[in-house]
Amino acid sequence: MPAILETRGLSKTYRKGSVLIPVLRDVSLEVCQGEFLAIVGRSGSGKSTLLNLVGGLDTPTGGSVYVRGVDIASQGKAGLARHRRGTVGFVFQSFNLIPSRTALENVSLALAFGEHPASDRARRAEEVLRSVGLGHRLGHRPGEMSGGEAQRVAVARALANAPDVLLADEPTGNLDSATSGEIAELLRGLNDDRGLTVLMVTHEEPLAAHVAHRIVKLHDGRLAPQERIAGRSDPKDRREAS
Amino acid sequence: MRFADVYRLANANLWRTKLRTALTTLGVIIGIGALVSMVSFGVGIQKNVTDEITENELFTALQVTPADLDLEGIMSGDVSAMAERREDAASLDDDAVERMRDLPGVTLAFPEDRFPATLRVGERETRASVQVLPAGIGLHSPFDELSAGRFFETDVERSVILSPRVLREVGFRLDAPDRASGTRESGAGSDRRTVSADSLLGREVKLATSVIDGRRLALAAVEGELPVRQVETTLTIVGIRERPTGFGTASFASDVIVPSGTAAEIPRLDFTSAWDLLRPDGLDRGYVRVHVRAQSMQDVYSVRDEIRSMGFSVLALADQLEAFRRQFLILDTMLGAVGTIALFVASLGIVNTMVTSILERTREIGIMKAVGGSEGDIKRIFFVEAGTIGLVGGALGLALGWVVTRVANVVMNYHLRPEGLAAVDLFHMPAWLLLGALSFSVLVSLLAGVYPAARAARVEPVEALRHD
Repeated sequence: MPAILETRGLSKTYRKGSVLIPVLRDVSLEVCQGEFLAIVGRSGSGKSTLLNLVGGLDTPTGGSVYVRGVDIASQGKAGLARHRRGTVGFVFQSFNLIPSRTALENVSLALAFGEHPASDRARRAEEVLRSVGLGHRLGHRPGEMSGGEAQRVAVARALANAPDVLLADEPTGNLDSATSGEIAELLRGLNDDRGLTVLMVTHEEPLAAHVAHRIVKLHDGRLAPQERIAGRSDPKDRREAS
Repeated sequence: MRFADVYRLANANLWRTKLRTALTTLGVIIGIGALVSMVSFGVGIQKNVTDEITENELFTALQVTPADLDLEGIMSGDVSAMAERREDAASLDDDAVERMRDLPGVTLAFPEDRFPATLRVGERETRASVQVLPAGIGLHSPFDELSAGRFFETDVERSVILSPRVLREVGFRLDAPDRASGTRESGAGSDRRTVSADSLLGREVKLATSVIDGRRLALAAVEGELPVRQVETTLTIVGIRERPTGFGTASFASDVIVPSGTAAEIPRLDFTSAWDLLRPDGLDRGYVRVHVRAQSMQDVYSVRDEIRSMGFSVLALADQLEAFRRQFLILDTMLGAVGTIALFVASLGIVNTMVTSILERTREIGIMKAVGGSEGDIKRIFFVEAGTIGLVGGALGLALGWVVTRVANVVMNYHLRPEGLAAVDLFHMPAWLLLGALSFSVLVSLLAGVYPAARAARVEPVEALRHD
C-alpha cells in the first residue's frame, strides 16, 4: 500500500519567553491511501500539534511533512494554502463554522477558496451536505443547529473540495456520547464507502479502536512504540477479503 | 479566489456591522464633500475669468507700444521703466502697422486712435470720445455682437456706431437695453423719448471736431487765444452697441465708433492723448498703441516675437494668462489641501474600523485559512472592504459637495445682487474634478487598508482558531 502522507523527524518547539517548550519530538509516521489512522494520547501530548503540522496550519521547527513524496513546505506559504485547500480537509473539535453564515454558505466558502466554478458551487455544497444527512438544514446557521448537526456541516465543508486526506481533531470532543457515535460512524462510513484516508486525533481509545485500522500513541511529544489496539481489519486485508 | 467572491465576502462583512460602516463612510463623505466643494470654488473662479477672456477673444490679442515706453515694465510695477527712454526706438507709424499686418498669423493690426468730438442730434449735443476702428474687427468679439444694426462693412462708409448711454445723453431712451438700470423716467417733464433701437438706425447725426486754423495761427499771439474752429461731419447710425464691461475690455469701451477710413477724413487736432505731449520729440513717434489680433493661440507667441524683433514692446494677454494659471494653481492647491486634511482624518477612521474588525474576526480569518484561504485572499478581502468604503463614501461625497456648492452659490449670489453684479456660477465641477476626487477617495481608502490587510493576512491560523 503506498504512503499518501508521511512525516519524517517532525518536531515542534514553542518558545515562551526564554524557555523552550518541546511539544513534538522527532515524529516519523506513514499513512497509507485509504487508511483510517487514529492518534491517541493524553491532553498535552502533542496530538493536535501533529495534526496542525500535517494539515499545514502550522510550520514545524524540525523535520518535514510529505504528500506523495513531496515536502509541503517546499512551495512556501502559497503552497501551504494550496495544501490546506485541496489535499486535506479539516474537522475541529469546536466545529469552527462561521456563525453568521448558513450551512450552505459555510460549505460554499471552502468551495470559493478552492476555485470551484461559481455556477456549480451551490449544487456541490448541497450535494455534500446531503451526503452527511443535512439536506433539511441547508439554510440554517450554526447557532440554530445541534452540536452533532454543526459537526456534520464541518465534515461536509472538509469534504467539499474532495481532499485526499481528512484530518479530524477530536471531532467528538464537544458532543454527547450518542452524537459522538453518530459522527464516528459518519467518518468510518466515509473511509469504508469512499476509501477516504482519515487521520483522527482523539483521547478516547475505545472510539479509536472502533473506527481506526491503526492506532498510534503520542506520549510527551514522542511516538510510543506502535501497538495494535484496534480490532478493525487493515484496509489492505479488507480489500483482499472483499 | 475570484474577485467576485472577494467582493461578495467584503460586502457581507461591511453589512454585518452596518452602523460602524455607515459612520466610517460618513467620514469619507464629509472629507470628499469638503475637497470637491473647495476645489470647485477655485476652479469656478478661474473659469469665470478665463471664460471672459475667451469670450472676448483676448487670448489672441496683442498690444504693441513703442519700445521707448516700457509698458510691460510699468504693468509689472517697475516705476523706473517710466523714466527710461530708448532713443533708438522704432517709430510706431503706418508703415510699422502695415508690416505687422503682413506678418504670418496676423489677422488684424490697427492703431488705437481716439479723438474728442461733440455729437449733435437735432438740438441736443454731448461730448464724447470717438474711437476709430477698422471694419475688420467686426468679425471679432466683442464687436461681433451689437444690440441693434450691424458693424461697419467698409472702412470708408460714413457711418457711426453709438452706445445706448450716449444716445440717452442726446435724448433717446432705448426701450429694451435700459430695462436693467431700472430708472424709468416718464411724464411731461422729461424730454427724452423712449424709442426702439431699430428705429434709430439710418438716422443722421453730426460729429463736430475742433481744428486749428493754420492761416490764422499767426494771429494767435495777438488775439491771445488759439484760432480754433469747429468742423461738422454728417454720419449715419448703422449700429447700436453696449459698452463692454469686464476684464480686459477697457481699450474697447467707447460710446462712439467710426470706421478708420472715414475717421482719416474727419479734420481734427493731431494728437490723441496727453501722452503725445509728454514725448520729448513730440508727434513724430506715431501711434501710442497698436492692436494686433493673431489667427490662433498658437500664432500668438511667434507674432509677439516677430513684433518684438521689429523693435516694439508687445503685451500679450496670453502671457498674463500663464501667470493667472499659476496663481490659480496655488489657490486650488491650498483649497485642495484643506479638503485633503478632512479626507486623511476620514482615512484614520477607516484604519480604526478595519483594525477593530480584524480583532473581532480573528477566528474567522483562521477558519478561512484552514479551509484554504491564502494570505493574498485574506489581504484582498480587507483591501476591497476599505476600497468599497472609499468608493461609496467618495460617490456620496461628490453628491454632498454638489449640494453644498449649489446652496453656497445661491447664498453668495443673493448677497452679490444688491451690489449690482450679475448672477454668476461661482463653483465649477468639471469631469476631471469628479473623477479625480473619486479616485483619490478610493486611493486614500486603499492606502488606509494597507496596514489592516497586511495584519489580517499575517494572522496565524493555529492562534486564530484558539481565539475566542
